[in-house]
Amino acid sequence: MFPIIIQGLLLSGLYALIAMGFMLIFSIGRTLNLAYGAYLMIGGYVYFWISQQLGFPQIVGFFGAIAVGILMGLMKHQFIVRPLKGHHVAVEISTLILAVVLQAGIVLVFGDSSKILLPIVPGVVRVAGATVTYSILTATIISWLIITILYLFVRRTHTGRAMQAVSMDQKGAAISGVDADRINLITWGLSGALGAIGGAFFASYTQLSPAMWVTPLIISVAIVIVGGIGSIVGTLIVAHIIGFLEVIVVSVLAPELRGVSTMLLIIVVLIARPQGLFGRAEN
Amino acid sequence: MELRQRHLAFWAIFIVGLYLMPELVSKGTLRTMIFACYLAIFAVSWDLLSGRTGYISFGHPFLIGIGAYTTAILTKRFDVAVEISIPIAVLVTMIGGLVVLLPALRIKGSYFALVTLAFMELMYQLVQVIRPDLTGGTRGMSGIETLTRGAVNGYYLAVTLMVILTFAAWLLMRTRLGTALWAVGMNEESVRGSGLSSTKLKMFAFLASAFTAGIGGAFYVHYLGSIAPRALFDINFLFTILVAALIGGAGSIIGPVFGAFFLVFLLEWLRPWLPGAERYFIYGGIALLVYMYQPKGMVAILESLYSRFWRARS
Amino acid sequence: MTAAIEVRNLVKRFGGLVATNNLSFDLDEGESLGLIGPNGAGKTTVFAQIMGELAQTSGTIRFKGQEISGLSTSERISRGISRTYQVPRPFTELTVRENIRVGLMPNNIRQLVFGATDRVQEERFAESVGFNLRNLDRSAAELSMGDLRKLEFARTLATGAKTLLLDEIFAGLTTGEIAMIADLIKQLRRQGFTFLIVSHDLPAITPLVDRVIAIELGALLAEGTMSEVLANEDVRASYLGES
Repeated sequence: MFPIIIQGLLLSGLYALIAMGFMLIFSIGRTLNLAYGAYLMIGGYVYFWISQQLGFPQIVGFFGAIAVGILMGLMKHQFIVRPLKGHHVAVEISTLILAVVLQAGIVLVFGDSSKILLPIVPGVVRVAGATVTYSILTATIISWLIITILYLFVRRTHTGRAMQAVSMDQKGAAISGVDADRINLITWGLSGALGAIGGAFFASYTQLSPAMWVTPLIISVAIVIVGGIGSIVGTLIVAHIIGFLEVIVVSVLAPELRGVSTMLLIIVVLIARPQGLFGRAEN
Repeated sequence: MELRQRHLAFWAIFIVGLYLMPELVSKGTLRTMIFACYLAIFAVSWDLLSGRTGYISFGHPFLIGIGAYTTAILTKRFDVAVEISIPIAVLVTMIGGLVVLLPALRIKGSYFALVTLAFMELMYQLVQVIRPDLTGGTRGMSGIETLTRGAVNGYYLAVTLMVILTFAAWLLMRTRLGTALWAVGMNEESVRGSGLSSTKLKMFAFLASAFTAGIGGAFYVHYLGSIAPRALFDINFLFTILVAALIGGAGSIIGPVFGAFFLVFLLEWLRPWLPGAERYFIYGGIALLVYMYQPKGMVAILESLYSRFWRARS
Repeated sequence: MTAAIEVRNLVKRFGGLVATNNLSFDLDEGESLGLIGPNGAGKTTVFAQIMGELAQTSGTIRFKGQEISGLSTSERISRGISRTYQVPRPFTELTVRENIRVGLMPNNIRQLVFGATDRVQEERFAESVGFNLRNLDRSAAELSMGDLRKLEFARTLATGAKTLLLDEIFAGLTTGEIAMIADLIKQLRRQGFTFLIVSHDLPAITPLVDRVIAIELGALLAEGTMSEVLANEDVRASYLGES
């Protein structure tokens, strides 16, 4: 019982962080960034390259990953989203193509095989009967920290409130004097940063491979669909639902069925409540 | 349906050219063309649903996979005759796809894309886990009955299948139904406001798409003689289908056929230099550039060249 | 005189906001009713509920004696009621002719696949709203606002509905175009069409309507002929309050 709770909490925290970046773009930028998973992949590889291959301290690796993530987000916004003027079909397709191109690029540079990352913090600890690596504990704690900062940022700062306004009504926000373009830029950069960190953590949790961007993307998708777009708290809650569901299925049923519960949840929610558990009904 | 002379002429030349190929090229090239034919079928099946309505499906490998696995399991595990297993496979693809994707069609376009992506992942995981005695699990199955022997016969079968399916799809899309589907992609609410049920339209497009995908998948597995989840429920496979359709020209039906052949030959041409995943890098990059320059694909580029040529003459 | 549309106790709430406030009115067959009120009065919301684009919070809507609240928009259209929109919603990448073609399409897949297009009908509807036959192959994206409104009217007519809800049909039209559309409406009235017309252009619609209802904040303010309603103090106050 306790091990499940502990594992569930740890996994959910990570999933929440990963989903945040995706949710921001979908809700504020109103686009589906299918290359979001690529932020994770690249973030993970940059972290790996800087801290393992080049030998710098891990913190440098993290910041490197964040920097690359921000850069990617900004470039994507500049070169793909803006020219396509938000035609959502075109953006969906372009971001998917981009993701595959990036995956191929990674294969070119790093090779096809999966790599195991050295733990962020070595060692394990026993918490309430469960064996937990310091690595994932650190990852989860930092995730919560980042989410809290994000929440405060969105709620308390001027820019954050502007972001909320744009997510609710782009035209209305523009009339109120919000520079939607600047907000979109910030959002994309932020999304890239969150994705990159999430990637570094996710890679520590599982492993690093060029194809690793698909699963986190699906998880983020699941969280956004089930939770409904728009709220940090909603995303947090649903991340926990999905995280716990996965852990329970893996422990009680079979480890191979890991992703199945998530998919089934998506189907059920879509049929019963298309706007998600917490979402506003889209007109 | 307005069939103009130039359309029929085009089809005639195209078909004749295809059938003459075995006289003109090597066995190796024929095998490449066989693959291109099947890819064309898959790309057309995608185009039927997603090309006009804007409901981008990332789940076509899922549909193709159902068709392939159904006929493979029926023929290999249960000794069902191919003449029966293939039609059943198509039926199962249509029903299975409907059951699974129908709820998603009722929702807006963006969500549809997400859900189909999720389903593809789901199938990939499920097929390895559920009844591996039937499906062959992670490794898949081999020694499946093949319908033809040799490259030439395989080629004729593939080409015939492709020509029939593609021509039928093309005719279908030239009817008012085709216009209605374009309209759905442009403004779905307006379609409803014009007295049409957009759900009915989408469903029909989906069934046509699933039908084509099912046939394609079934015949494909009987050409390959083997099947593996890694090959089918794969992002790269999805990607290949999508890019073929997009570069060719989404919504035009013939565009995806062109796109498929173009892509396959490009990949083959690159093979000596870039044997591995690097090829995806190059052609993905090309695809992105082409798509952003002219989202309507090669068909649109050709049409504008054609009309500029006509104008120059008059 | 049979009723075409009967609205009873229609209420629409968006959270705390009451957009339609216990509205009731009748529209008889062959009649033309004007629906007026200041901006934000909720006129378009009423249209959306009648057409099924918006589900009412409570209240009934009957068309030709039958409750239509459970029906989808396309089902209501096939019953014979259709509308135009304040902001036209054309199929931008289709031509004028193809736009009308969509309006003409039956809601039946078999007929869409095996039936033929009727170019004569398409031209008839296009001409009736004032399109020159030469312009039928222009893309809808090239049209002016006035032309878009005309196109939408043509498409709405093409659905075959005989009860039409017109939402600001005259906005953005030249004087000549207004006169032409007004003539078309009169012509259709002689053929037995029923109209519910929303417009800010009171002089334009006065000769086109038998009666008028005025609403404000979703509630009925006054009912009667145009002059009666305009003379009503509450109505004048609501319009003055708008400016």
